[in-house]
Amino acid sequence: MQVGFIGLGLMGRPMALHLEKAGHTLHLWARRPQSLAPFAAVNATTHATPAEVAKHAEVVIVMVADAPDVEAVCLGEQGLATGAAPGLIVADMSTIAPDAARRIGMRLAERGIEFVDAPVSGGESGAINAALTIMAGGKPEVFEKLRPLFEKMGKSATLIGGSGAGQVAKACNQILTGVGVMAVAEAFNFARKSGVDPARVREALLGGFAYSKILENHGQRMLDRNFNPGFKAWMHQKDLRIVMEEAHRLGLMLPSAAATAQVFNAMVGCGMGENDSVAALKLLEKMSGPE
Amino acid sequence: MQLGFIGFGAMGGPMAEHLLRAGHALSVWSRRPESAAALVEQGAVRQASPAAVARHAGIVFTNVTGSADVEQLAFGAEGLAAGFVPGSLHVDFSTIAPAAARRIAERYAKQGVDFVDAPVSGGSGGAQNATLAIMWGGKAELAPRLRPLFDVLGKTIVHAGEAGAGQVAKACNQMVMVAAIEATAEAARLAAASGVDFSKVRAAMLGGSAGSRVLEVFGGRMALRDFAPGVEARLHHKDYALLMDEATRIGAALPVSAAVWQQLNALMGQGRGNNDSASLLRVLEACDGKGQAG
Repeated sequence: MQVGFIGLGLMGRPMALHLEKAGHTLHLWARRPQSLAPFAAVNATTHATPAEVAKHAEVVIVMVADAPDVEAVCLGEQGLATGAAPGLIVADMSTIAPDAARRIGMRLAERGIEFVDAPVSGGESGAINAALTIMAGGKPEVFEKLRPLFEKMGKSATLIGGSGAGQVAKACNQILTGVGVMAVAEAFNFARKSGVDPARVREALLGGFAYSKILENHGQRMLDRNFNPGFKAWMHQKDLRIVMEEAHRLGLMLPSAAATAQVFNAMVGCGMGENDSVAALKLLEKMSGPE
Repeated sequence: MQLGFIGFGAMGGPMAEHLLRAGHALSVWSRRPESAAALVEQGAVRQASPAAVARHAGIVFTNVTGSADVEQLAFGAEGLAAGFVPGSLHVDFSTIAPAAARRIAERYAKQGVDFVDAPVSGGSGGAQNATLAIMWGGKAELAPRLRPLFDVLGKTIVHAGEAGAGQVAKACNQMVMVAAIEATAEAARLAAASGVDFSKVRAAMLGGSAGSRVLEVFGGRMALRDFAPGVEARLHHKDYALLMDEATRIGAALPVSAAVWQQLNALMGQGRGNNDSASLLRVLEACDGKGQAG
């Protein structure tokens, strides 16, 4: 299949390479030319604009930072929409607001372009190992056309519902992971300040109802004082901003997510934004003082 | 002095009237002609566009709803910028994002026009009685031009700092005020749930260290179960989106404000956005099934 791919960062690069390895022909555009270097030796054609990519592809995958970037790639000057023939499928795998996804989908539909929001969970390692969880929103028949591509990038791809539903699922994912990381950090800080070894606490809890992957994996990284990303705190902050703006729009009360978002604000404010989210523990320790 | 005014809601209307009564010539424009009718009757001159207002006045005041409205008035087609000359001054009383205020000021500066963000506190009562608190951001040397005009509208006038500083002060004002409304609502809830008359609790507190203007005004509304606005809760809700977004942008933790914001979200979800913010009490009452009706 002729597949366009825009957004060749930490996540996008390995995802695109999986598709190429599976026999698809890539059509690429990148804001920064150096992002294209890893594709020099593979079956990929570089184009001057997103519009050119759209002209040569049946499906275009977008993996960029935030809603304004997706809008620029899709609807901007020389964007995908200006080069696309009717019937082109755009799959946006970035994490953006559900509302923005619906709006972009509607604008593309006016030009006969199919749009699916398909954000992912699993981080950089999930992208490298083709083990991402993909949650999609859009028409079932379009999702089925994308499924073979999704299966090369992830271990599960689920159609959640109509346009924007994938982003809603991703927002739910970010509530659970954000609040989950905070809960583990609070528990470990509680243990430490009580003079109890958090490692022993974790070990005991892994066998009970408080077991979670976050307690297991993020908890271990906290114990190892390994604050390298992983998933950067500023990105989690951005994702929670999307969650909280959506809650504001809907008239929806999210007290725990709101409190968690404030801790991420503080992390970014005191220079921990490039750390992994698990650095929340460092912040709590700093705020609560020594044992 | 030749002044301009745009935006005649519950706040802008009485403020424009005060300027007119103080003897200033007032050019006005409104999207819907009827909004400015009362002022025109009192001697204000209706203009065909914001640009025309700007051509007739060295200082133009605006009082509208959001950042986008102010930017549209300033830089839209036939906007103020099209009519201003170097040395003109745009004073905006609206509550908007500090970043938006700074952006507008920078854009005006390129044509030699000054912009002052001057949000106000005190509600429609304060506007009518000319007792507003006005917190303004912009160049300090503009003070002599602004002070006599602000004195017609309010009684507490503070230069908070450079462009955007007025909006930062207003964000602080909203945080402290709405958090106090929520605290008052929680006190009212605790008293009622304990079988104690909140109006008596309030009377006692007013004489002590917890006495405050919010306890007096909003606490009074809660005691009377009078939820007519006052301040429509949806406006406080809007302000919280601005200030929490700003907190995210600058990396500041505002844990209490974040919690209060969620109570406002719940209030909106219950469809009470057009009620007074004293309705935060009813959000709490919805939680336990023992809430009073209405």
